[in-house]
Amino acid sequence: MSRYVIIFSKTGYAKYTSHLDINRLFRRSIRKQGIKLAYSQGFNPHPKMSFGQPLSLGYTGLREILEIETLENYQPWYLKDKLREVMPEGIDIIDVKYLEDDVKSLAAICDYAVYEVVFPENITNVENYLAQDKIIALKKSKKSKELKEVDIKDKIRELVYNNNIMTITLDQGSISNLSPELLISTFLTFSDMKVSRSDIEVTRTKIGFKDFEI
Amino acid sequence: MSMKTLDSMLKLVEKPARYIGGEVNIAKKTITKDMVRFCFAFPDAYEIGMSYTGLQILYSLCNKEENIYCERTFAPSVDMEELMRENDLPLFTLETKTSIKDMDFFGFTLQYEMSFTNILNMLELAHIPLKKEYRSEDDPIVIAGGPCAYNPEPLADFIDVFLIGDGEELLPTFLNSYTKGEKKEDFLKKVCTLDGVYVPAFYDKDKKLYDKAPDKVVRAFVQDLDKTHFPVKPIVPLIEVVHDRSVVETFRGCTRGCRFCQAGMIYRPVRERSVDTILNIAKEQLEATGHDELSLLSLSTSDHSQFENLALSLMAYCKENNVSLSLPSLRLDSFSFKVLEEIQGYKKSGLTFAVEAGTQELRDVINKGVNEEDIYSAVEQAIDLGWRNIKLYFMIGLPFETYESLDGIAKIAENIVNIRRRMNGGKLGKFNVTVSVSNFVPKSNTPFQWFGQNTAKEFEEKHNYLAEKLRIKGVTFNYHDNETSVLEAVFARGDRDLGKVLLRAHELGCKFDGWTEHFNKEAWHKAFLDTGVDIDYYTTRNRDLDEVLAWDRIDAGISKKFLLDEWEKAKNAITTKDCRYGCTNCGINKHIKCPMGGVYHE
Repeated sequence: MSRYVIIFSKTGYAKYTSHLDINRLFRRSIRKQGIKLAYSQGFNPHPKMSFGQPLSLGYTGLREILEIETLENYQPWYLKDKLREVMPEGIDIIDVKYLEDDVKSLAAICDYAVYEVVFPENITNVENYLAQDKIIALKKSKKSKELKEVDIKDKIRELVYNNNIMTITLDQGSISNLSPELLISTFLTFSDMKVSRSDIEVTRTKIGFKDFEI
Repeated sequence: MSMKTLDSMLKLVEKPARYIGGEVNIAKKTITKDMVRFCFAFPDAYEIGMSYTGLQILYSLCNKEENIYCERTFAPSVDMEELMRENDLPLFTLETKTSIKDMDFFGFTLQYEMSFTNILNMLELAHIPLKKEYRSEDDPIVIAGGPCAYNPEPLADFIDVFLIGDGEELLPTFLNSYTKGEKKEDFLKKVCTLDGVYVPAFYDKDKKLYDKAPDKVVRAFVQDLDKTHFPVKPIVPLIEVVHDRSVVETFRGCTRGCRFCQAGMIYRPVRERSVDTILNIAKEQLEATGHDELSLLSLSTSDHSQFENLALSLMAYCKENNVSLSLPSLRLDSFSFKVLEEIQGYKKSGLTFAVEAGTQELRDVINKGVNEEDIYSAVEQAIDLGWRNIKLYFMIGLPFETYESLDGIAKIAENIVNIRRRMNGGKLGKFNVTVSVSNFVPKSNTPFQWFGQNTAKEFEEKHNYLAEKLRIKGVTFNYHDNETSVLEAVFARGDRDLGKVLLRAHELGCKFDGWTEHFNKEAWHKAFLDTGVDIDYYTTRNRDLDEVLAWDRIDAGISKKFLLDEWEKAKNAITTKDCRYGCTNCGINKHIKCPMGGVYHE
C-alpha cells in the first residue's frame, strides 16, 4: 500500500462545486483510470481518501490537498498524468507526491491556511480593526444552532492588505479553526463598508501543516 | 454576457453548480460561423433533466455531427430565476454561457404535461416572444419532441416545430437541413415533408394552410436499434442527480398491450439491442464515467428475448468490476428471484408489483396480464428470501371500475399480510405492504383515449373509501393528488384552445407544477376561469367514437382501428394476447418491418 498527497487547484466556475461533489469526482476519476484505492476494514468499507481541509462553496483554491492510499504502488508522475487526463475544466492536478508512513493523516495535522480576499473597492480601517481588544463575531453553535459570541482575534495569525486585496493567515485545524467568513463579516461591519458579500472573492492560496511541508 | 453578473449571482443561490456546466464528457467545440447551434432544454430542474437518458442520447448524437453544436439548459430554480430577472441576465447554455437568443434552435423535451408552464417561463427568461407569431427571424426556431409531442396541440401556440417519434435519425437530419441565414418559413416548408415533422402553423383546426404539408404526420422510426447510436461517454454531472449511474437501453417498445399505457402504444414495435451490443456499451460507459452502478432501460426488463443470458453476463461483469447492478421492472419469476438474490444480497430494498387493478375482471378490461395467484406465489418466494417491504401499485378511475374492484385492492393487500402471518407463525413481525394508488389519466393514442376521466370528487370519494378499507395492520396507503391528475388529463387530450390557458397560468406565476411545493391550485383555477375554458370538456366527457380528436393529424404508427377494437374488447373484458406470441394487428408494420413478425391486414 502506498500513500500519496494530491495537490490540485479549483478555479473558475468549478469553485461552485461542493466539497462532496469534488470527493465524488475524484473517486470516479480514480476508478475510471484503473487506479486501485485501498479500502478501510470493517463492516462498511470505504475508500481511503480524504481532504486536508474542506473548502467552502464559492471559494477558489490554488493548492488544495487530497490524501489517498492505494493498493498497488504507482509512480507519483503516473498518477498525476492519469488524473490530469480526466479532470473537468477548472480542476487541475498540480502535483502528486508520496506521503511517508510516519506522517500522520493530513487532516489531523492541518494547522493554518492563507486566503486572499478581494473586495470590490479599496479597504481602509484595517489597523483599527486589528487594534481592537477583542474581535467579536457571531457564530452558529453546531449543537444548538444558536448564535454565540466568539472572539476571533487570536485566531488571526496575519493580516496584510494592499488597495482592495486582503491577505490573511488563519488558524485552520482541529484544535483551533477560523472561517474567513467571520473575519469578512466583522470587518465589513467594523469599517462600515456597504458591500454585498456576493461581490467579494475569496481564494485559498495555501494550506499549512504542523511540522510538515508539502 | 457579463461574467461578473453570473459569478456574483451564483454566490447567492442554492446548488450553484446547476448552472455552471463544465461536467465530465461535455462537448467542447470551436464555434464556426456556419455551425448550427442547438440548445437542448429540459423544462425542469437540472437534477431531473440530467437523469433523463434521452438527453444523453440526443446530445451525443448531435455533437457527433461536425457542423452541429448541441448545448444544454434547464429550468432555473426560483431563487436563480429571481436574480436573472433582477439583473436582466437572459437564459444561457451551460456549455458556452451563450444567450439562448443566439441559438439557431431551442428544443424542449416533453416528458410530462406538468412541465408545460416551465417551457413558457424559459422562453420568457430567454427573451424570446412566447407566442410563435410574434417571433422574428432573429429568434431561434423553437422545437419540441418526446412522448407529449404525440398530442402537440396544447403547445401549438408556442412551438414552431414538433419532432414526433424516434429522434436518433430525425433530429440530425432535421438540423442538417438548415442553412445559416435561411428564412424560417423557407426552412419550415422544406422540412415539413420529413416523417415526424409537424409544423403547427401550416394547419388550422380543420384545414391545411400550406398545401404541400402532409395531411397526416407520420412519426419517425428507427428500424434497427442495434445499429442505432447510444452514448458510451455520457455526461457525468458534478453534483448529485436523481440517477447517478450508467444506463443502457436494452430495447424499445412493448408487446404486452396494456390498454391504459401510452408508452406501450407509441414506442412500437419492439426493437432490441443484442446482448453483445448491450455488454459493450455498458463496459465502455462504465470505463468512460467511473460510475459504480449500472442500470438497464426498457419498458419491461425481463421481456428482452435473451434476458437470462444478458442478466447472467452483466452480473458476472459487474461482480468482477465492483459495479452494482440494478434491474428495474423485472417480471417476478424464479429466474428473477435468483438474479435479485445475487445482486441485492442482504441489502434488500422493497419489492414492487404493478397490479394496477383490484379484480381479475378489471385487469382483463385494461389487459394487464397478471393474476393474483402469480402475485401470491411471488410474494411467498420473496418473503422466504427475506424481503420485508412489498409495494403494490394500483390505478383508480379506470374504465368500468366498480366499488367491488376497489374492495379487491384491499383484499389483495390483506391476503399478502396473511401470507406473511402464515409463514411467520401467525405473527406479522417487521413487515409492510405499501399500497400506492394513482388516478387514471386517459392518454391520447391509447384504447382509452375516448374515456371520460373521473371527477376530482369521484377520486376523492374513492380515496376515502380505500383509506377506510385499508385500515389493516401492516398496510400503508398512499395516493396521488387529485388536482394535478385533472390538469394532466386536460393537457394529455387537449387542443389548441389550451394555449391561452397556459399563457394565463404562466402570467399568474404557475411553474414547476409537478412539484407539490410550487403547484398553485388557485392560480390554475383562475387561469381557466379567466380564459373561459371548461375543464370538464377535456377531462370527464366521454368522447364520441367518431369525434375528430385533437391528435388525429398525428399518425403514431398504430391504427385507429386497432385502438377502437381494443376499446370494444375492453368493454367486454376480453383480453388481447401479448403480441410476441402472434400478431394482434396494431398496424405498426404499415410503416416499419415489425421484428416481432407482425402481419397487419387492413
